[in-house]
Amino acid sequence: MSYPCTLGLLMGKQQIKPSVMKEFMLLVKTEGDHFASMSAETQQAHVAKVGTYIGNLMEKGQLKGAQPLELEGTMVQGTKGSFKDGPYSESKEVIVGYFHILAQDLQEAVAIAKANPLFEETEASIEVRPVKVLEGIN
Amino acid sequence: MENERIATVMDHLFRHESGKIVSVLTKIVGPSNIELAEDVVQDSMTDALEQWSYKGVPDNPAGWLYKVAKFKALNILRKENSHRKYQIETGHLINSTLESSVDIEEFFSDEEIADDQLRMMFTCCHPSISSDSQIALTLKTLCGFSAKEIANAFLTNEDNINKRLFRARKVIRENKVSFEVPVGTALEPRLQTVLDTIYLLFNEGYNATEGSLSIRWELCEEAVRLAMLLGASELVQDKNEIWALLALMLLNASRFNARVDKADALVDMANQDRSLWDKQMIDAGLAYLDRSIATGNVSSYQINAAISAHHCTASSESTTNWENILKLYDNLAAMDPSPLVLLNRAVALSKTNGPQKGVDALITLQKEAVLMGYPYYHAVLGEFYLELKQEKKALVCFKKALKLVANNKEKRHLENKVAYCKSVI
Repeated sequence: MSYPCTLGLLMGKQQIKPSVMKEFMLLVKTEGDHFASMSAETQQAHVAKVGTYIGNLMEKGQLKGAQPLELEGTMVQGTKGSFKDGPYSESKEVIVGYFHILAQDLQEAVAIAKANPLFEETEASIEVRPVKVLEGIN
Repeated sequence: MENERIATVMDHLFRHESGKIVSVLTKIVGPSNIELAEDVVQDSMTDALEQWSYKGVPDNPAGWLYKVAKFKALNILRKENSHRKYQIETGHLINSTLESSVDIEEFFSDEEIADDQLRMMFTCCHPSISSDSQIALTLKTLCGFSAKEIANAFLTNEDNINKRLFRARKVIRENKVSFEVPVGTALEPRLQTVLDTIYLLFNEGYNATEGSLSIRWELCEEAVRLAMLLGASELVQDKNEIWALLALMLLNASRFNARVDKADALVDMANQDRSLWDKQMIDAGLAYLDRSIATGNVSSYQINAAISAHHCTASSESTTNWENILKLYDNLAAMDPSPLVLLNRAVALSKTNGPQKGVDALITLQKEAVLMGYPYYHAVLGEFYLELKQEKKALVCFKKALKLVANNKEKRHLENKVAYCKSVI
């Protein structure tokens, strides 16, 4: 077995202090596709903000991963033998992407979520969830 | 550092790259399918936003957009090959692209992009399209404006702009307008239309006194950018008129910010704070004017630019070389004796020969119906009467002008004049 990996080594960045950062998942939810309706002018302004936002997270080594998700897809729901059919249209909000980040604590993770430029353009919600860690194992 | 880089890279990226990609794609799919090209680009931009919101902005955002747009276009073309939803007339281009005997990368070289933007300009400004629609289509395809932004710039609604765009595309399809820069003797008149459209676009931004200042300034910038594209191209040899138009636009644009004061009221050129005039722009304008004069033929853009240059280089209204300006207007009137030119000439005449001469000149223009419906005519005449201390006559003129203006800033300006006349009568 290798040495227990510190987060600092994992990320290969020097600025952050190892071991104190915790992992969080930020689940981004909006109602429908908000980018398509923007004008080129707003799109451009938005990209500039987004570039800064992501750039900062990367520079500080706080971004482990992030992906947008397609709007389509389906929900597998029920129990074995009795799955419900159909898409998950009960909630208007759809998860449109996620950020897997590192933060000192929940408070910082929330601040990072709030700083997302998405909120300047549209009504959205971001669910902030700490990744569960079992002491001595992860 | 990182943020600065992004700010620089992003400056107009979406607008201008979309113009480039639409042009290149239009060459591939043919001008009948401009809308297909526009859709592909719009789609690519949306994808970029989405990806970059999570992944950050790539080092070469333009290259990223090209790749995505190319891929999308190829996909559609492959499908179209079997479905034929769009009538595709430049078959050879598409087929060779699909058979990959031509590498689509070649279409995205810097030179090709520049030339395609020029071809796009000539297509959008085809004489069979009305000038309203020419401007709308140019802004949509080459400048990356949305219908909504164009509507804001023209103080009209989106539906109206969409109708203009629809008509323009229809004319292109029906007249089978080709995607090329005309050659030989066909070039000159077509270039004239392109330049006139660019100048109209500039004036939409420059002369409007209402609407968002930033959008209006962008219209001016876009007009200058398009003219510079023409100036940089080897597809056009005789650039005299292009330099002249660039000179005119830059010299006028240098005064853009001085025309409204802090209280958002209009300021006549005579009363403008000349330290607010953009010196760098004036220098650039003068350089273009020199270039245009060096290359020969006199054009109306050139004379107008020379007039503007006289204003831009004078330290005040009183030290302005009005004699030369009057001569220039005489030359202009000889080429183009339009009522508007004669109206402006009358202003210069009043400066050199006194306001009574100005009044006389304007009275002889009363037969021109266009001028009678033009508020500026009555306002100028009013100013002449004010100088002659004939406030009653001035009052009549300002009231007439007031009835003709639609926008609030000009209304306020004229109301002040009316109030002044009443106070001294």
